[in-house]
Amino acid sequence: MTRVNAVRLLLWTTLSVPLLALWPQGQDAAADDWAAHVQKACTSPRYGLRLAAARKLAEGGDAPVPAIRDWARQHGRNQLPAALVDAIADADPKAHGPAVLALLREWSEDADFFWRAAAMRGLALRAAATAAPGRHELAAWFARCHDDPAWLMRTHARLGSALLDDPDAASRPEADPRARVRLAALLLGQGRVPPLQPLLDALADERTFRGDPWGRRLGAEAHKALKAWLGEAHPLADGGSFADKPAAITALLAAAAAKSGQSLQPPVPRTDPATPFTGGIEILSCKHGDVFVQWTAAGEVFAGLDAETEARLPAEVWQRLTQARAALPLGGDLGVVICDSMRLEWRPPDVHVKVAPGSLPAAAAIWLEQLARAVEEAGCAGLGRDLRTALTQFAGR
Amino acid sequence: MTRAAVLLCCLACLPTDPTKVGFATLAGFDYTEGMTLPKEVASLDEQTVTIAGFMRREVPGSGPIGEFLLINDACGCNGTPKLNEIVFCTLPDGVTMDEKPGVVTVTGKLYVGETKEEGVVVMLYQMDADTVQ
Repeated sequence: MTRVNAVRLLLWTTLSVPLLALWPQGQDAAADDWAAHVQKACTSPRYGLRLAAARKLAEGGDAPVPAIRDWARQHGRNQLPAALVDAIADADPKAHGPAVLALLREWSEDADFFWRAAAMRGLALRAAATAAPGRHELAAWFARCHDDPAWLMRTHARLGSALLDDPDAASRPEADPRARVRLAALLLGQGRVPPLQPLLDALADERTFRGDPWGRRLGAEAHKALKAWLGEAHPLADGGSFADKPAAITALLAAAAAKSGQSLQPPVPRTDPATPFTGGIEILSCKHGDVFVQWTAAGEVFAGLDAETEARLPAEVWQRLTQARAALPLGGDLGVVICDSMRLEWRPPDVHVKVAPGSLPAAAAIWLEQLARAVEEAGCAGLGRDLRTALTQFAGR
Repeated sequence: MTRAAVLLCCLACLPTDPTKVGFATLAGFDYTEGMTLPKEVASLDEQTVTIAGFMRREVPGSGPIGEFLLINDACGCNGTPKLNEIVFCTLPDGVTMDEKPGVVTVTGKLYVGETKEEGVVVMLYQMDADTVQ
């Protein structure tokens, strides 16, 4: 029996040697496959197929990186879909080597890359497992981005620092309520327990911006993070019924306090101010940061998603701006939005449009410039500067 | 007596108000392929529902559309929507519309369950959208 096996083995080896000579062709075929997956992840008309191809690439470790680079070189980095960058960022870091790390670093450093914040998250999630000196370089890179104007970029940079045991990263001052909740949720997902009060506060947030219920969305995000972290201790039935919201919040607060040992306060319900806003502008920019402006018919202009900053414009200035705004010819196709966008919404007259970078009509750009000057003169320099920055991105070219 | 019975039958046949559903329910769990969906989600299959969200094209472009993705967030850079964070909406045959900015409310029949193409799950929630407001 042993002799037979030896003969078979010899025969198998003899046959295999010529086959092994053909191995490089197999490698080429594999490379071609990665190229095909990149092509599918970037161009398939079906969202689900793009998502699946992105996942496959992300699970491929360093191997698909050359194909991804080739595709970006041919078509432009901003033609890469968010799904691909997200999939790589969130994939199991153990599957990835230096090529993925270098790719994520390069993407995160490109201020014009739409999905740089997702790349930053990928770096943050890999930082703790990175050996020195790369780890120290990452720590320095995170620190440089702690105050990036784009909220997701600075949130992910702070996440990276926190996961590298920077004790101050998670407690830095943060004006954007979305960033406060996201950082706490991400840290919980990584097994770190940050101060939980921002998550509890979000559960009672009902604020909106021009019809967008962002407060409720924050609440849902906070609840999902708490639910995953609480596990068996999650106190709500059916996965989290908020039919009786005060009771649900009380139960969640008790469970979170018991598990974390933190002293948590019942959240104060937050709703929109009674001020009747009549219009607003929403600028979502991964490059320059988001800008939110709302105003009343009387010329009170509020800045921030939570309308925290107010500038009161003189009556004659506001009247002039209102008349000019009513005459703006807005509508129709205002560019193809991929990532950054500007939304203009007001009445009267009824206007609700979405604008892509470089597509804001000249008359609207002039009006926005006038608004920026008016709020600056009213003492709101930050908002004026933000509006001007947005103009450089959105004004028609 | 007969009149009352007929009236009750008519009332029973009237279409019921759509169930209001939020993304907090649809996306309130970590989806993995092949999993048993939570009962609060599975029970929505073939129900007429109303969902508020943001319209997004399946492929970036311009012009009227007959199909669109309804998602929970306006900002594309805020993380790629996962399959349980998207409702794939189809307008009635021959009907198209321009993509609307801001939050829209879509009403129609919801279908819950995995749909596969080329061996992978491509959709979890589909809706025959009757109205978009």
